[in-house]
Amino acid sequence: MIAFKQVEIKYGNFVAIENLNLEIQEGEFFTFLGPSGCGKTTSLRALVGFLTPSRGEILVAGRNVVNMPVEKREIGMVFQSYALFPTMTVFDNIAFGLKVKKFSKTEIEGKVRAVADKIKITDAQLQKNVSELSGGQQQRVALARAIVLEPKILCLDEPLSNLDAKLRIDLRRELKRLQKDLGITTLYVTHDQEEALTLSDRIAVFNNGYIEQVGTPYEIYNHSSSEFVCDFIGDINRLGKNILTEINTQLATSFKTDATGFVRIERCLTRARSGFAVLDAVVQDCEFNGILTKYTLSCMGETVKCLEKNDGYMFYKVGESVELYIDPKDIMQF
Amino acid sequence: MNKMIKKFKDGNVNIPSLILKVALIWFIFSFLIFPNINLLINVFVKDGQFSTAAVSKIMSSARAMNSLKNSFILATASMVTVNISGILIVLFTEYFDIKGAKILSLGFLTTLIYGGVVLVTGYKFVYGSSGIVTKVLMNFFPQMDPNWFVGFGAVLFIMTFSGTSNHMMFLSNAIRGLDYHTIEAAKNMGASQGTILFRIVLPVLKPTIFAITILTFLAGLSTMAGPLIVGGPDFQTINPMIKTFAQMQNSREIAALLAIILGVATSILLIIMQKVEKKGNYISVSKTKAKISRQKIENPVLNVIAHIVAYVMFVIYMLPVVYVFIFSFTDSLAIKTGRISFSSFTLKNYRHLFEMPSAYKPYLVSLVYSIVAAVVVAFIAVAVARIVTKAKNKWDKVYEPLILIPWLLPSTLIAMGLMMTYDVGRVNLFGKVLIGTPVMMLFAYIVVKIPFSYRMIRASFFSLDGNLEEAAKVMGAKPFYTLRRVILPVIMPVVLSVMVLNFNSLLSEYDLSVFLYHPFLQPLGIVIKGASEETATTEAQAMAFVYSVILMVISTASLWLGRYGGFSILKRIILRRTKKEAGDKE
Repeated sequence: MIAFKQVEIKYGNFVAIENLNLEIQEGEFFTFLGPSGCGKTTSLRALVGFLTPSRGEILVAGRNVVNMPVEKREIGMVFQSYALFPTMTVFDNIAFGLKVKKFSKTEIEGKVRAVADKIKITDAQLQKNVSELSGGQQQRVALARAIVLEPKILCLDEPLSNLDAKLRIDLRRELKRLQKDLGITTLYVTHDQEEALTLSDRIAVFNNGYIEQVGTPYEIYNHSSSEFVCDFIGDINRLGKNILTEINTQLATSFKTDATGFVRIERCLTRARSGFAVLDAVVQDCEFNGILTKYTLSCMGETVKCLEKNDGYMFYKVGESVELYIDPKDIMQF
Repeated sequence: MNKMIKKFKDGNVNIPSLILKVALIWFIFSFLIFPNINLLINVFVKDGQFSTAAVSKIMSSARAMNSLKNSFILATASMVTVNISGILIVLFTEYFDIKGAKILSLGFLTTLIYGGVVLVTGYKFVYGSSGIVTKVLMNFFPQMDPNWFVGFGAVLFIMTFSGTSNHMMFLSNAIRGLDYHTIEAAKNMGASQGTILFRIVLPVLKPTIFAITILTFLAGLSTMAGPLIVGGPDFQTINPMIKTFAQMQNSREIAALLAIILGVATSILLIIMQKVEKKGNYISVSKTKAKISRQKIENPVLNVIAHIVAYVMFVIYMLPVVYVFIFSFTDSLAIKTGRISFSSFTLKNYRHLFEMPSAYKPYLVSLVYSIVAAVVVAFIAVAVARIVTKAKNKWDKVYEPLILIPWLLPSTLIAMGLMMTYDVGRVNLFGKVLIGTPVMMLFAYIVVKIPFSYRMIRASFFSLDGNLEEAAKVMGAKPFYTLRRVILPVIMPVVLSVMVLNFNSLLSEYDLSVFLYHPFLQPLGIVIKGASEETATTEAQAMAFVYSVILMVISTASLWLGRYGGFSILKRIILRRTKKEAGDKE
C-alpha cells in the first residue's frame, strides 16, 4: 500500500532522514516510534505532502506521490494540536473538506452525521463552537474531520499527547476499534512506547533519521535488534561480566562476557522458577505502587532491578537476602 | 527571470497574487519611497548639483533656528515632566493604596479618548482668557493678564498632563506584571517601602520607562497642536514652523529641510529604542508568579500628600473633558463669557450638528476619510503580512522593511514629501497631479497608519497555529479559500481592532490634514483648530465643543472595541442571544 524507497529529506543542509526504506501493508496500523527529533514526524509529513524529499520515492498503491499535490493524495490527517478551525462550529469543521469538494448540502449533512455517530459526537456537540469542547472531544472532532472524506490513508501525529492519562487510554481503545471497523491503513506517530505497543500491528523504531527496527510489538519488545530499541521500548537491566559468567557456568550457556547482556526488569524474578539461573542478591530499595513492587537488588557487585506482581506476600525488607531468577532466553546481546 | 518565464509557460503562476504584488510595489514606490527621495533631492540638489543652500537658509533664518531650539528644549523638558506625572499616576492607580483609585484611573485614562487639537483646544478653553481657571485666578489676582496661558509654560503644562497615555497603557501593564513575591521577599528581608520602590520595583520597570521616555521625547519634538494653539508668537517649534514655511512658496525648502531634520532625529531615537528593547526586558524568573497587591503608604504624612497630589492631578485631567462636555450644552453667551446659569443650557448646538450641512459636513468628511483609510490600510497590512509570513523567496521578505518606512518618519515629513512630489504630473501616477485633489489626504492617511497596522496584523499571523493551513490543504482547500474561510476569521478580531483604532485616531487628525486637505472638504481637526482661534465665532466654538464631545464618545467606544475586548464581549452576547432564540424555538 505505502512504500518509502531510499527517501532522503533535508532541512536546508541538515539531513533529517537519510535513507528510509519501508513498506506498509493495506489496512495495517503502523506506528513510527522514537524520541523527539528522530525523523518520525518528518517522514509522516513527507507522505502527506507537506515536505518534499530531496531523493527517493514514496509510493502509494504503486504510484509515486512525491510530486503530487497534498489534496490529491487522499490522506486524512490528525495533527498534534488538532488544528481545528477556532471560528467554526464542530459541524463546520467536519464539513469543511466536503464543502471544498462541493458536495451537496444533503450529502454533507448525511456524511457529517454518519461520521459523528461513528465517533460518538452528539447532535448538541455538532452545533457547539470547537473552543467550547474539552480536549478529548476536540480530539474526536479532529478525527471525524480526517475520516469524513473517506481517505485511503489516515495519518495521526501524536494525537493523544495533549490529553490526560486516563482519557488517553480510553481514546486509544476507541481509536483501535475505529481503525479495525474502517479497515483504513493508518500511520501513527508517537514517542510513547506503551501507546505504540498497544495500538500497532507493526512498529518502526526511529533513531537519528534511521529506522533501527521494524517489527510487531512482540518482536520489538522481546527481541529488540539493538541496544537503542531495547532501551527505548521499556525498562531494562544491564548485566555485566560477573552475572553473565555465573549464568554461563550454571546453565552451560555461551553469553559473551565482554559484552553487556540486556534483560527486561519484569523478567527478573525473586520467586523460584525451574530452568532459570539462580543468583544471590540483597534488597537495596523497594518501591510499591499497589499493583507492582519494584526492587533494586545488589547482585554480584552489580545492580539489578526486578518487578513483582502484588501476590499477597509481604514485601522483602531492605537488607534482606533473596534469590534472583533469570531465564537465559530473556537475555539479549547485540 | 528564466525561472519566471518557465513558471508562466507551465501555468504555475498565481495571477491574482502576482497582480497584488505588483500593485503593492507600485503603492510602496509611489507613496512610501519616491516622495521621500524626491524631498531629499528637492532640498539638496539644485540644477543637478549637490547644494547646501537650504542649510544656509535655515542657519540664517532666526525663526527656523529658534523653532529648532524650542523643539529640543520642549522635548527635553517634557521628557522629565511627563515622566514625573506619568509614573505618579501609574503608581497612584496600580501600586499604592490610594482611596478611589478606580475613579482616579478613569480620569487619568481620559488622554486616551482625546488628543491633538481636540485636547489642546479643550485646555485652551479651560485656561484661556474666558476659561474657568482664569476666571477663578482673576478673582484673587485682578491685575493678572487674562491671556496668561501662552508660551513655553502653557505648552509644557499641556504636554505634562496629556502625554501620559503611554504610561497608562504600558507602564500600568508592566506593574501588573510584577511578581509580588519579589516585594514580599524584600519585605521579609527588612526592606523599607522606599527601598522596595526604588530598588526592586522601579528597576524592573526601567526598560518600559526608557521606551516611554523616548516616545515622549519624540512627541515633544514633533508636537504640532500645543505650540500652534497656545505657543503664541514667541514659542514656536519645528512642526508649526514647517507648516508656516510650507505655505510660503519661497520657503518650502526650509520647511522640507526642517521636516528632514525631524525625520532624522526620529529615526535615530527609534533605532536606539529598538536596540534597547532587543537587549531585553527583565522577565520574571518566577515559576509561580503572584498578583501584585496595592501598598498602603505607611508614613501618614506621605500618605496624605500622595492623596492630595493624586486628586489634584485628577482635577487637572478631568477639567477640560468636563468643561467641554458642559459647554457643548450651553448657548453662545455662556461660551463667550464663561458664565453659566440654568437658562444657558440648550440642545441647540447638537441640533445644529444634525440639521445644518455646514455643521455636519466636517464630520462627514472625516468619517468618510477615516473609514476608507482604515479599510484600505487593513487590506494592505493583511496582504503584506500574508506575503511576508508565507515568503518562500527573499524578494517577498523585502516588503516588510519597505512597508515600515513611515514608522521612522514624522507626519510632517510624509506630508511634505507628498506635497513636493505630486504638485506636478508624474509617470507613476499616469501624469496626474495629486495636490489640490481630495485623494491626496487619503493617501497620506493610509501611509501614516500602515506601520502600526502591519505590526499588529503580522503578529497575529505569526501567532496562528501553522497546522490550520495544513489541515485545510489536506482537505483540498486552495490558498485563497483557506485565507478567506480559515485564516481571516481567526485574525479578524485583530484586524477589526486595528481598523477601529486607526479610524479613531484619523477622525480628528490635524498634523497631516493641515498640509493636504482639500479646501472644500475640511476635516474635523482643521475645523476644531479654527474654532480655537481668537477670531472664531462663538457658534464655531460651540460646534467645536459638540464635535469634541462626540469624538470622545466615539473614541471611548472604539477603545472599548479595539483595545479592551469589546468585539469578544459583543460576540459572546450575540452568540448567547442566538442560542437562546434557538432554544426557545426548540
